[in-house]
Order: sequence, then structure tokens, then C-alpha cells
Amino acid sequence: MALTKKSKFVDEYVDPVGKSVPRIEGRGIVTGQLKYVFDVQMSNMLVGKMLRSPHAHARIISIDTSKAEALPGVKAIITAQDTHQIKFGSNEYFFPHTVDQMAIEADKVRYIGDELAAVAAIDEETADEALRLIDVKYEILPGVFEIEEAIKPGAPAIHEALNNIALILPVNFGNPERLMKEADSVRESRFWCPVAHPSPMEPHVCVGQWETFTNKITLWSSSQAPFKCRESLAKTLKMDLNDVRVIKMAVGGGFGGKLEMLPMDFAACLLSKRAGGLPVKICLTREEEFTTTRRKHGMIYKVKTGVKKDGTLLAITGEVLADGGAYCSYGPTVLAAAMMRIFMVYKIQHFRMSGYRIYTNNPISGAMRGFGGVQSGFAIESHMDLVAKDIGMDPIDFRLKNITTPNMVTVNKMILTTNGLKECIEKARAACGWDEKRGKQQHLKRGIGIGIAADVMGSKMYKSHESAGAIVKVEEDGSVYLFTGAADTGQGSNTALSQIAAQALGVSYSRIKCKAGDTEITPFDTGSFASRVTFISGNAALLGGQDAKLQILEIVAKDNNISIDELDIRAEKVIFKKDNRVLMSFDKALELCYSFKYGKQIIGRGSYNPKTTPIDFRSGEGNVSGSYGFEAQIAEVEVDTDTGVVTVLELWDAHDIGKAINPQSVQGQIEGSLAMGIGYTFYEDLRFKNGRVLNANFAGYRVPRSIGMPKMNGILVETDELEGPFGAKGMGEAALLPTAAAVANAVEDAIGVRIMDLPITPEKIIKALKERA
Amino acid sequence: MDVNLTINKKQITLNLKGNETLLEVLRDHLSLTGTKTACQESECGTCTVIIDGNATLSCITLAANVQGTEITSIEGLAQGDVLHPVQQAFIDYGSVQCGFCIPGMIMSSVALLEKNPEPTQKEVEYALDGNICRCAGYPKIFEAVHAAGKKMKK
Repeated sequence: MALTKKSKFVDEYVDPVGKSVPRIEGRGIVTGQLKYVFDVQMSNMLVGKMLRSPHAHARIISIDTSKAEALPGVKAIITAQDTHQIKFGSNEYFFPHTVDQMAIEADKVRYIGDELAAVAAIDEETADEALRLIDVKYEILPGVFEIEEAIKPGAPAIHEALNNIALILPVNFGNPERLMKEADSVRESRFWCPVAHPSPMEPHVCVGQWETFTNKITLWSSSQAPFKCRESLAKTLKMDLNDVRVIKMAVGGGFGGKLEMLPMDFAACLLSKRAGGLPVKICLTREEEFTTTRRKHGMIYKVKTGVKKDGTLLAITGEVLADGGAYCSYGPTVLAAAMMRIFMVYKIQHFRMSGYRIYTNNPISGAMRGFGGVQSGFAIESHMDLVAKDIGMDPIDFRLKNITTPNMVTVNKMILTTNGLKECIEKARAACGWDEKRGKQQHLKRGIGIGIAADVMGSKMYKSHESAGAIVKVEEDGSVYLFTGAADTGQGSNTALSQIAAQALGVSYSRIKCKAGDTEITPFDTGSFASRVTFISGNAALLGGQDAKLQILEIVAKDNNISIDELDIRAEKVIFKKDNRVLMSFDKALELCYSFKYGKQIIGRGSYNPKTTPIDFRSGEGNVSGSYGFEAQIAEVEVDTDTGVVTVLELWDAHDIGKAINPQSVQGQIEGSLAMGIGYTFYEDLRFKNGRVLNANFAGYRVPRSIGMPKMNGILVETDELEGPFGAKGMGEAALLPTAAAVANAVEDAIGVRIMDLPITPEKIIKALKERA
Repeated sequence: MDVNLTINKKQITLNLKGNETLLEVLRDHLSLTGTKTACQESECGTCTVIIDGNATLSCITLAANVQGTEITSIEGLAQGDVLHPVQQAFIDYGSVQCGFCIPGMIMSSVALLEKNPEPTQKEVEYALDGNICRCAGYPKIFEAVHAAGKKMKK
């Protein structure tokens, strides 16, 4: 008998798309009941720890684990000898030669923190003691820590790569040299973009368990990309993909840092095997988090432009040197993104830029929110203000003259369809009172500045495709399960995808339960990166919901002897399309599906792979994304010229998000991005000396805190993207890209000094003021 | 040694070595994993609990030193199914993203509002400055605290 819960779901969350419905896991979060991997407790669970190199560059002569093995309470120890010594990486599809890291290094260590062994013991003290008892003999090698030193002939060789250059990426279009000669004004700039760290509140943590009777492994992982983690685990452990199960639980933030398998994930699984199948939990300390997980690339960003007097941008050339640290990680694609994002923003035909990703004996650079765009955002958008100043043009007018437009193909073959960049600029300009403020508040030491940006909605990274899948299972009690491979790391994708599935099915959001990111039971998804989830996984959820709806309508149509084409489900009701007449309630329709007569389970499925073209990294050509998002950001600052302290008074971020599936969540993403942008502008700066991180804690590495946050204004521009689910685009990263430039531009407007290297500190302001005087 | 604690209005006697932090006792001995930690060195605020009305970092508090006090963790706020006004406000105002900092953030907010249900914006900022949120950038957290204070005053 079908259960009937009539009208229970006819509530405020019918037609949920566009509504600020509460987070699906909200009650779990505020009561402390939601479980993160950090919270996993199992009986007989062992504590795992990694043995890390204290040297930045050294050859491993020998490792003796015998004393540690004899320590009571030690259950397993692994070194490289116990592994297949297979390398893993993150750009294997496009740049196979950059796959360069081993889970446990065998011959050499290349940075302070490099893993050379792992132990599992009954408790933390025993594990720590075991690490101390492992005797490693090193031959210490000279290290190299500055990118401009590393590429000099004769510098210590970190890998096989010539001059420590892991990758050279040239991007060439047109004839910029010729156009520079035709320009009325040419300007060259050099910027320094420092190293930031994702530092999610939940550190990297995992629990690995080897099922000895089936030889399968399960890894509970705090991962942004569980399927990517599965792939790397299977490869390095030499297992079949489906003998590896990665389960993502609630994730306490990622920001790009949790996109990859780390040696700890590999070690937890192998240690568990050695320990007879006991679960092994490895949780990084905050110091390990800062020193041994992926960080943002430090970049020297050089850019040169030629413009005409009327503001027409003729040509751009430049060079990007990226400090990659010890291994490649996502570096090649980060570098590519740092150079090629500009094509989404500015109409430019003549372009030449070379990027170099350089090995050093610093910690490993990889993905971090913004993916190269934060560095290029600071450099390009600061530079554009300097150019506008050279020709005496208002920075906004200069940008409006050169920005990309809707329905255009860029020089590198990106296909921009909906493009709200102009509208974003105009809305931000109006909202902040630009015309009354720009250049008119110097007597108050106040200034206002703009930065603009664009972002992809997904990009192929480690596979030939980037599809997402969804299953929408409608149960006979009326509840709807959405299974998605997407990884909610806090951005709210479980909620947004549930809204999309509910809207597609025609029911209330209250019906939806979401199960996400379990490689054994949810469909494949490449992961949470490149602002792709709402757009790509959202399209899969849309298709899944529509498919489930059709299955229900098929039964209803049959039972009523009418054509399925006449029917639809909207707002909890089966209706006739032509006049919206109600045929029956959704619950009634479900009763029919699960009746004696039909007994049909409703399982909708969706799979979506965006329409892109392969990127040719030798030229930079390719339509990398199925859609593109845009934004304009304006900062107003006040400078204390006695102390050098810059206060951001207010930020405006006008954002083309296609359609806000959940306006409150969208605002939350904008505010979180702006805060991170403020951090990068003023203080997020991981510092090193001879490869050692000097500020590996929250006291030394400051992140934004509650005091001193500026007023933030998110302005949503809806361009209704044809390819997006209900018109939506992704928007998790773009608002972070131009913040530093907008602030630096505002500082110049306020006091006439230009900061070319981040972070903007009081010392730099005072120094610049003195130099000008 | 026997350590007697009052946690979420329940009396508990634990046999401890004596060097356990309150955080370890809550999470490892009592499986009250709602209290998190992100640094274990008093810099992030994630482990905040309320002891005798004051927001306190449980990662640097020895359990044996807080015998005879009233300890409240995030699990002790809701009355059955009814959420504390601060918990409800954090949902209503969209203040939560990844949620990892939220138990600590809520405890700091409750401790503030119990003493001062109508704090100024500055007072909220100062009360929460020890609690890092990496996701949300704070505006929606501020909104929730102000709104919850108004409810609590009624």
C-alpha cells in the first residue's frame, strides 16, 4: 500500500529555484551533529602519521625502521620499498610529463615535509615516538628557493627537467610586436603575487580501511574530488578502480587544497593493509596543513601593453614565472589559466605571453581558489589602471572600450554567449557612486578603484571528459533522493543541486534528500573546482529530475488514456500543459506508480558533459568551458598616511551569475570570496626561508577575522544562460579575482602611490609615500 | 584520577590521567564531536565551549581544572527539537557554509548574547574575533547574531 502524505510537501519550498531555501544540512551543522571525517571514530582505529623530511633537498641513503617496529603499540610501518613507486599527478591528460610525485619518495626528498615513511600505532604518542625511532641517513644536497635562481644554468637540479623548468607555456596570437610600434602609449609592469594558502578550517584528514577478505579499500576522505582521489589511489596502489571506494563526508572547506590525493591518503590505505585491516586515521596538524599541502603559486607577472590615444587596446605581451615548489600538482593548468583568463575579459587580437612553471625546493604549489586568476587578476587589473592613467582616461571608460561582448568568439576560440560584463560594470559604477567619488576624495585620503574579471564554469583537468551524473530516485513515501557525485565542500552545492532537481521534477525542495560524493553509490563527477558544480552537476541534476518526471507522467498518461505530451508536473501537481488544469496531485501520481497495477519504481537519471572543444596548449586555443561568468568589483578605501594603514570602507561586486538558484547562497559565495580577496590583498602571505615555512600557524599566517571586514554589496546580474540549469552559471571563485587590484587602484586614487607587490602592508605604503616625496 | 564534570547539565565522572584537555574529553571520551578544532593551539576558536557563561577554548583547558563548573557544548544548546535562537538564526540568515567553525562561532555568540542581547556591531566583531570562518566572510554571521539577540531579549 502506498503511503500517502498529502499536502505535507505543499509548502513555501514549492518552485524552489530562485528562492533562498535553507541549507539542506543546516540543522546538522548548527547542532554539531553533522559528521566530518575529522569526527570519525571506529573501534580499534589506529593513528597514522607521516615521516617527513627535515631537509629541503637530500638524497635518501638508507632508512632503518627496525627500532620503530619493535616499539610496543606500533602496528604498521611503510617505506617506499613497500610501495609500487608509481608517480601520481593532476594534469596527466594534458601534461603527462608533469606527473612527478610519489606517495612515499624512494631516492630523494625535495622539500621540507616530503614524505618518506608512514606509521600506524595504537595512539598518537606511540605513533610520534615511532617516527622518532626511524633512522634515516641523508646526503644533503644544495637547495634552490628563488625562481629566478632556479632557472640559472648550474642551479641544483631538483628533477630531470632542464634548468628546473617543469613546463614552458607559450601563448601566441597575431603580431603584438608590430602593433606595439603602432601604439600611442606603451607601458610595462612587473608584479609580485605572493603565496597564499587555502587553510580550510578542517585540516586534511582521512580514514583508510583495507577489507582483507575482498582486497578492497575504503577511504573516508575530506575531499573536493572523491573520484579523482579514487583514480590516484587505484593507480598508485595498482588496484582496479572499483576496488577502491572513496567516501566524502561533510567537508570542512577546501578552496582548492583538497582536490588531490595526498600521500597521507595512500598511506592510510596501505598501513591498514599492513595492520590486518584495522582502520587507520591520519589527520594533519595545522603546521603540516600549512607546510605540506598545496599552496597558491607565487608568481612574478610581467605585462606590457600598447594602446591608442582613444583607449583601444592593441597588443599585450608578457611573461609569467611561477614558483612551483617541489612537484607539479595542478601547476601546469594553473599557469595556463593565469595567462589565458584575459581572453574572457578583454577583446584582444595580438597577444604573446610565455609562462614558466619552475621547480624549487619550496613546498608544493597547486590549486587554490581562483586558480591562477587571483595572480593575473591583480597584475592585469592593476596594469590596466596604469594604462588608463597614461592616456588620461577614466579606468571604467577604458575598460568599457575594450571588454568582451555577448555572442563573440575570442582570439583563442572561446565562445562567449551570454556576457553580462558591461552590465556588471555599469551596475557597480552606479551603486558605488563612482562618478561623484573617483579622483574627488584625495583631500580625505579616500579613493575608489575597479577591477573586472571572468571565470570558466568547468575545465578539463585530469580526464578527457568532465561529465557529471545524477540519479533522482522517487520513493513511495514521496521522498526524493538525489544522488550526485559532486562534492559539497561548504559552498552549498547539495542544496543548490537539490533545488534544481526538485524544480525539474516539479516538487517541493522539502522532499529532497541528497547523497553526494561516494564513488561506489553516486554517479561520477570530476569534482568541485573551476566553479563548475552548479553549471555542470546542476545540468545533470536537471536532466535527472526531468527523467524522473517523464517516468511518472508515462504512468499517469497511460492510466488516464491521454498523451504524455499533454501533461506536466508543476508545483506538486500533475497538470495539463495547455490550460494548467490540475489532473491530480503529485502524491496521487506516485500512488499510481507504486500501485498494484503498475508497481513502477521511479529512478531518473541525468548525465551532462559540457560542450567544449579540446584546448591546444601549444597555442592556447580552445573553448574550454560550456559557459562563462563575469563580474566587476569596486573598492573604496581610506588611507592613514601617518601609519600606512589602508582601510577598505566598502566593496561592490556586480556578478553575472546567469540565474541565482539560491540568492542567499550566491551572496554567501560573494562575501566569502571578497573576504578571501581582502586577506590576499593585505596579509595572506606564506613566507619562507631556505624552504622552511616561517609562519605555519594562524598566529603567523593571518586570515580574515571578524574585526575590520568592510561592508560588502553583492549585486546579482542575471543573464539567463541558455546552456545553464534554469539559466544558472557557476560563481564560486570569480569574486576573489579582482579584489587586490580594485584595492590597489583605490589606494592610488586616494594617495597617488602604486603598490606593485602584494600584500599591501603599512610599511610599503609609508615607503612608497617617502619615495614619492 | 577521578574527574567530576558537569557537561550540558549532566554530571559525569571520568577516570583520567589528568593531562587531558577538555576538548579531548568531549570528543574522545564522550564522543561529543560537535566541538571541533582546527589548530589545537588556541588560534582559531573552533573548539569554543561555554564555561560558567564565558566562551572558553577547550583545546587549552585542562578537564581536571574545570571541575565544579557548568560546561556547555554545542550539543547542549537545543531543547529537544527546538533550536536555540542563535542556532536557528544561523540557518535563517544563511550564515553557515562548510560548518566546521560554526559550533565554536555559535558558542561565542551565545556567550555574548546571554550577557548582552543587544550588542553593537563593534561588540559582535570583538566577541567573534577569536573565531575564524574561512568560508563566509562574516556578514551573514553578524546578521544572525544581531537577529538572535533580539529574539533572546523578548
